[in-house]
Amino acid sequence: MWLWLLQRVTAVILLLGLAAHIIVTHSLNLGELSYDNVAARLATGFFVVVDFSLLAAGLFHGLNGIRMVLLDYGFSGRSQTVLSWLLLAVGVAVFAAGTWALWPWLTT
Amino acid sequence: MTGKDRETANVGAGLWKGAGMWAWLFHRVSGLVLALYLFAHIWVISTGAAAGADAFDTMFKTLESPFFIVLDLALLAAVVYHAFNGIRVILFDLGIAIRQQKTLWWVVIGASVAVMAVFAVISFSYIASHG
Repeated sequence: MWLWLLQRVTAVILLLGLAAHIIVTHSLNLGELSYDNVAARLATGFFVVVDFSLLAAGLFHGLNGIRMVLLDYGFSGRSQTVLSWLLLAVGVAVFAAGTWALWPWLTT
Repeated sequence: MTGKDRETANVGAGLWKGAGMWAWLFHRVSGLVLALYLFAHIWVISTGAAAGADAFDTMFKTLESPFFIVLDLALLAAVVYHAFNGIRVILFDLGIAIRQQKTLWWVVIGASVAVMAVFAVISFSYIASHG
C-alpha cells in the first residue's frame, strides 16, 4: 500500500523534474553541455533541488518498478523480503554514488 | 472449453487482447529500459565528474555527437511514452475514465508522437547546423 502510493508520488515528482531536466539541460543547452555549464545550473538552488529530487525519486521509482516486475515472476514470502532489502541497499548505494558525482559542483 | 468459455472463466484472458495489453507491455519494457539507463547515466556522470573538468568536457563532445543525439531521441521516446501512460494509469487508480481506457491509450500515443515530433525537430535542426 505505502510502496504503491510512493510509486505514484515519485511518478509525479519525475514528471515535473524530468520535464525541467530534459528541456533545460538537454534542449535549451543542446551543444553547450560542459563542466562550467553544469556548474552554472547547480549554482542555482532550484537545480540542486531538481537534481537531488530526480536522483532520489528516480532510484526509488526504478528499483520499485524492477521489484514489481520480479514479484510477477514468483518472489513471495521470505524471498520477497530479501529482494526488497537488497534493492533498498542498491538504492542507498547508488544514491551515495550520485551525490558523490554532484559533489565537485556543490563544493566549489 | 470453447474460446468464449475460456474468456469468461479467466478474467485475465480479456487483458491479453488489444490495446490494454500493449499499453501494459510497452509500459513495462520502457520502464525496464529506463531503470537500466538510470544506472548507466549515474555511472557515466559520476566517473566523468571524478575525472575532472577537462575530461568531462571531452566526454560531452562525444555525447553531443549526431549518433548520441539520435540515440537520445530513442531514450526520450521511452521516457515520453512511460510518462503519458503513467498519467493514464494514475487516472485509473483514481477511478477516472477506466471504461475509456482504449481511447485514452490512443490519446497517450498521440501525445507521445506530438512531443517526439517537437524534440525531433530540435535535434535534427541542431545536427543539420552543427553536424
